[in-house]
Amino acid sequence: MNYQGLEDLELLAKIGEQDRQALAALYDRYGRRVFALAVRMLNDTVGSEEVTQDVFMSVWRRGASYTLKKGKFTTWLFSIAHNRTIDELRKRRRDRSRENADIDDHLNIQSGDISPADAAVAQSEYAKMRAAMEKLPVEQKSVVDLSYFKGLTQTEIALKTGQPLGTVKTRMRLALKKLRTSLSDEIGAQA
Amino acid sequence: MTETKDNLESNENLDPRFENLAGYVLGALDHADERSAVENLIERDPEVQAEFEELAEAADLLAIAVPPVTPPASLKTRIMEMAEQDFTTASIQQATHEPIRQQPWWQRALRSGLAVSAASAVLVVVVGSALSYQNNQLGNEMDTLRANLATESVLVANLQNELSTTLTDSEIRVATMKSDMKVMEDDFGATTEMVVHQEEMVSHLGSVNNALRQALSDQNWLTYVSTKEGYQVESWLASNTQQVTSTEPTASGLIAVRIVGNEAVFQVHGLPQPQSGYAYTLWLMGNGDPQPVAQFAVSEIGSATIAFLLPQPLQFYSSVVVTQERVDRIGVDPTGTMVLSAQTN
Repeated sequence: MNYQGLEDLELLAKIGEQDRQALAALYDRYGRRVFALAVRMLNDTVGSEEVTQDVFMSVWRRGASYTLKKGKFTTWLFSIAHNRTIDELRKRRRDRSRENADIDDHLNIQSGDISPADAAVAQSEYAKMRAAMEKLPVEQKSVVDLSYFKGLTQTEIALKTGQPLGTVKTRMRLALKKLRTSLSDEIGAQA
Repeated sequence: MTETKDNLESNENLDPRFENLAGYVLGALDHADERSAVENLIERDPEVQAEFEELAEAADLLAIAVPPVTPPASLKTRIMEMAEQDFTTASIQQATHEPIRQQPWWQRALRSGLAVSAASAVLVVVVGSALSYQNNQLGNEMDTLRANLATESVLVANLQNELSTTLTDSEIRVATMKSDMKVMEDDFGATTEMVVHQEEMVSHLGSVNNALRQALSDQNWLTYVSTKEGYQVESWLASNTQQVTSTEPTASGLIAVRIVGNEAVFQVHGLPQPQSGYAYTLWLMGNGDPQPVAQFAVSEIGSATIAFLLPQPLQFYSSVVVTQERVDRIGVDPTGTMVLSAQTN
């Protein structure tokens, strides 16, 4: 069977039947994305390997329980990956043993890790995200970066920025809506 | 760039049902109960569901837009091996037609006959391996916490030294006063009033010393950390009066949980040394399978401090218990003597 030709949900159904080849196919499809998100947030490849391992074992164990009520498959997958990485990030922040890199440092980490073709696509997508982010008011850009990529809670962001909690919540919502409008036509189609 | 008037107006008109949706999608809610509330809203309110899907799609794009990084090939191998291990465990469970956790391993072994069958032996090894893996994961997280706590312990040790010095000084003062009283009686012939007065002073100092002694025995790093690191005591464990032996009537313990996060600390006092080949084991009960948190030894005075990460908020469990279990062979259920327990809600 050509697993690479199967849709995400078809692979997930096979995972529900304990089909390990389906898990391998899903890993081939999204492993680099999940790993990249973890690296982006943790700035650490060893920790990112552990996170990626946990995420795909969650898919293996909980794949059968996935329903469309949980959103698109990629939303569900990246939600698991993001939450797991945030847990690790907050644990490390408590440990104060590491610091996350600035968004610009991220591009430097990637050099040598991906093929030229991947790098071209990646740079293109990343450029689009950067462009969409740049369109946001600086306050909204800040809350997205602090929450999604640096793992701060909304209360921590309010304390850090000196803004009322309600304002932080609203900025998060507005930022996501604008990002979706800006990015969905360009990147969403490639997902 | 600043926010526009439209944005500010949106702020004023934000529907309370949508208030925490973006925070939920971005993983930025502060507490588990906030996440549960949002999930309930998404589940039962179609408008909230639609809003969630819209915001979640944006977060999805944030993840997708991060340039992919190729992980080492060994990672895929590890994941596939773990999946294989899961698959094997599930298959053996199915083959036995009996959930593994229903009975302690030794009961199942005995039920299968005088000789443990080859199938049971395989089952024990596989289940042991799975539990060992989970324990290793938890163990790694605990090691990190222990390292931090070791630093705090140094500060506590200094506090204890200060208390010890104070206690010693005070005891020397009592002894000196008693000696002075004897001299006064010998030299001047003490009146009854003077003797009573001085005895009261000695008694008072004795009480102070007892209080100091108690403070010294209670003093620990947790007292320090509680105030500094934002922990609060969530549960007090007491000797299990129905099953406790007379050797540990004064044992007690507590669980403190960090106000933000899932770090927890268990501390126990007054436990005797466990019987040979056994160790004390802390369990979380009443939320699915019993969860062994850690096996631990106690000091010469029966104390121990265990740092661990709560899999879920403590309130999700009905109780915590401490039992004696065989060293490095924790079953799926507590089977040994229960020495401490507490309800958590």
